[in-house]
Amino acid sequence: MRGFSINGRDGLCAAIFILLGVFFAMQSLGMELGTAFRMGPGYFPLVLAGFLILLGLIILVQATQYAAEPVGPIAWRGMFFILPAPIVFGLTVRGLGFVPAVFLTAMIAAFASSRMKPGIALLLVSGLTIFSVIVFSYALGLPFRRFGPWLD
Amino acid sequence: MKRTIAALAAAAAFTVSASIAGAQGYPERNITMVVPFSAGGPTDTVTRLVAESMSKDLGRQIIVENVGGAGGTLGAGRVANADPDGYTLLLHHIGMATSATLYRKLPYDTLNAFDYVGLVTDVPMTIVARKDFEPQDLKGLIEYVKANPDKVTLANAGIGAASHLCGMMFMNAIKTPLVTVPYKGTGPAMTDLLGGQVDIMCDQTTNTTKQIQAGTIKAYAVTSPEKLEVLPNVPTASEAGLPDFVVGIWHGIYAPKGTPPEVTAKLSAALQKALKDPNVVARFAELGTIPATDAEATPEGLKAKLETEVARWKPVIDGAGQYAD
Amino acid sequence: MDLFNNLALGFSTAASPWNLLFCFTGVMLGTLIGVLPGIGATATIAMLLPITFQLEPVSSLIMLAGIYYGAQYGGSTTAILINMPGESSSAVTAIDGYQMARQGRAGVALATAAIGSFFAGTVSTFLVAIFAPPLTSIALKFGAAEYFSLMVVGLISSIALAHGSVIKALAMVVLGLLLGLVGTDINTGTPRFILGIRDLSDGLNFVAMAVGVFGVAEILRNLENEQTRSVMIKKVTGLLPTREDFRRMAAPILRGTALGSALGILPGGGAILASFASYTVEKRVSKHPQTFGKGAIEGVAGPEAANNAGAQTSFIPMLTLGIPANPVMALMIGAMIIQGIVPGPNVATEQPALFWGIIASMWIGNLMLIVLNLPMIGLWVKLLTIPYYVLFPIILAFCSIGVYSVNSNVFDLYSVAFFGLIGYVLVKLHCEPAPLLLGFVLGPLLEENLRRAMIISRGDATVFFTRPISATLLAIALAVLVIVLLPSINRKREEIFVED
Repeated sequence: MRGFSINGRDGLCAAIFILLGVFFAMQSLGMELGTAFRMGPGYFPLVLAGFLILLGLIILVQATQYAAEPVGPIAWRGMFFILPAPIVFGLTVRGLGFVPAVFLTAMIAAFASSRMKPGIALLLVSGLTIFSVIVFSYALGLPFRRFGPWLD
Repeated sequence: MKRTIAALAAAAAFTVSASIAGAQGYPERNITMVVPFSAGGPTDTVTRLVAESMSKDLGRQIIVENVGGAGGTLGAGRVANADPDGYTLLLHHIGMATSATLYRKLPYDTLNAFDYVGLVTDVPMTIVARKDFEPQDLKGLIEYVKANPDKVTLANAGIGAASHLCGMMFMNAIKTPLVTVPYKGTGPAMTDLLGGQVDIMCDQTTNTTKQIQAGTIKAYAVTSPEKLEVLPNVPTASEAGLPDFVVGIWHGIYAPKGTPPEVTAKLSAALQKALKDPNVVARFAELGTIPATDAEATPEGLKAKLETEVARWKPVIDGAGQYAD
Repeated sequence: MDLFNNLALGFSTAASPWNLLFCFTGVMLGTLIGVLPGIGATATIAMLLPITFQLEPVSSLIMLAGIYYGAQYGGSTTAILINMPGESSSAVTAIDGYQMARQGRAGVALATAAIGSFFAGTVSTFLVAIFAPPLTSIALKFGAAEYFSLMVVGLISSIALAHGSVIKALAMVVLGLLLGLVGTDINTGTPRFILGIRDLSDGLNFVAMAVGVFGVAEILRNLENEQTRSVMIKKVTGLLPTREDFRRMAAPILRGTALGSALGILPGGGAILASFASYTVEKRVSKHPQTFGKGAIEGVAGPEAANNAGAQTSFIPMLTLGIPANPVMALMIGAMIIQGIVPGPNVATEQPALFWGIIASMWIGNLMLIVLNLPMIGLWVKLLTIPYYVLFPIILAFCSIGVYSVNSNVFDLYSVAFFGLIGYVLVKLHCEPAPLLLGFVLGPLLEENLRRAMIISRGDATVFFTRPISATLLAIALAVLVIVLLPSINRKREEIFVED
């Protein structure tokens, strides 16, 4: 028998599917299953979860049959700035209000790129904020407070 | 611990000062009225009609915000936690009372988290069936259902929906459980009733009036105390053999607890005026809904209604044993 | 002739200067908002609903309808340009449209979408006019068993959405189905997979998910090798389709129109299958299926036509039954009620000017859209030459606003970030998001109809085979399965080693 090798990318993929399958299966088992004729809330998802685990196993077996490939670069900096941007919007839109929320969100996102310079960022983000306020708040009349209670 | 108390004290002081400042010359800015359902539904429609008319009287725009989700409890929870300054209001229907029992874990205390503005309208329900369904009247229906309890299918628009509540009340009244077929919303349920896929349903006149008039479905009874002008040939449930079977999807306007009484008084005055606005009256009549009287469109009227309805639905829902969480 | 008189009435209503103006305003607004990422037609109409209260009923409905197809049109633009679909239909357009854009053929992709939509819009408008009542009675024959079988066809077809591993695509569909079940079970009220989060009790938000797995993931991917690529595309070749492009798009548009018109009539969720189904068909009949997913013009033409045809014919159940086929139609019904028209089976006879006016305005609106948008293509394509580091903060801000505007729920914004991360991981693992989204849309429909069919038949599983329409659909599903699996087994080895 030759050395065991596995395609890391597909192996990870399979692991994720299997884990998710197990998660959904366990949750489903905690619910009423019912019968095929009168299905409970757990019935259909349990069947699906089983299927997902099965597919994960197939991918896993296939992954052992060919060699690894490079995963390529990962956008760490991108993730660090891009993913928090909508979260910041959510955290601030009710408290600080629409205007500061848009400003902060775009500002954080802007720094995801290493090419962005602070001066340009400030200019871009200010312009964007003004545009958004005109379009969404005034023209469309979205029911957002422009400046929230935290600033009163 | 000390910090918590300090924070609470500060919050209370802030609230009080905000309330006092808010009461004079209210409203000074636009008011947000939360509808705990998605835009376009019957409750949204009622809200927009009333809000539009109340805006004229208050001199400030009432902006309708749809905060749908979890049978209306998400939107209600949002308003329960809002500043009690009169700038965030809630228009909710009967679900306000039924969710107190349907949901065992609510993020607010239904009877203590709100102040009241007033009752808005009461939408009657109709007991309807597919057009080729055998029984000819309500008495016939009840006999038929009792004879074939597992042959008759009763559609509803999901747990907590008007049709679900009325269906429960109906089964409770005739003391016979039926095969219930839940749908996601009234639209698909009505489609299947029109297509003859299910047998009966009990739903708001807002959804059924036009179909009944067009003869695409059969109506056995309305659940209001009086017959409806738009459906002159449909008897009330009491007339047709189910005495005291009165179910209405009533709507009320609420404010967060602690709202200054002057503010709620001003709002209920505006509400009473809106309910006499010819445009609102005409639209309500077309929908077959009954505007609240001046006595009902008051904080006391709504408070009484909510309390009776919470008490009335509790045994019905507990009896059915089906909860939404 | 009746139809002629009716159409004449319709056009005379819709073509009054006032109504033309509102139709124009509607499609303009719709397009503008549709191109903002994250905001779909539903959110747009919900936002603009109050504006229409002051108008005449006919004008306001014409304007709302205009917003509806304008927004769908604009949504395709965003899907093609920045891989940011606002709803399920444009998720399909994004697959090949965005690839075309990356190859410098954004102009061609946009023009194809415009032409396909216009053709489909024209044909289906006349379908609505001529056949609305008989088509309605067919739609009513669809019960739970039929819908279940239809969804099975859709699911099996979805395998064709994948251009990599079939097994992975299947796994993504199944995962999508499971994610679609998150939320409150409508039969019993049991909350499922919500992990104690109340905001999940109505399920995951589709827009948040689509924006996350497609758009945000794509932004992250573009940030990977920023040093080598500063703008999205280097050169733009040709704005308008060539003769060869026209030849390749003709048949897909025809087929897409037919499929979309048929599926759009079904009020129980047929229309959402239209663009997916069309994509599958095109990939199967194509002589070069390997180009799908890498910028095949057929993959834009067919689904766009199907989507628009479905959007038009989904007015049929609303106009003839007074029943909304989708959230947009529900909003339109709300608007009608506020205007004092309660929609129902009698609208056509009680309000002929309104009924036929809306139908006529649909065609006029589509005409306006193509006239308005073909010249805009140059402008849109220019957008792509903006440095990417300027573009994506704008995209993210608009997404956040758009997603939040739908339900005013901050949880939806957290979902965007979460699904952005998931989407990026999936991209890195070569798992495609389109099958996931299809599964997500179909999951609840599949389960609901399965359980409903079983309840109505009192637990008799043979209903799926004894009801003729359902049986036919299942036979189609089986045939599709055989066709889909045969070639893919043969091709599997090559496909595994396909490089992106």
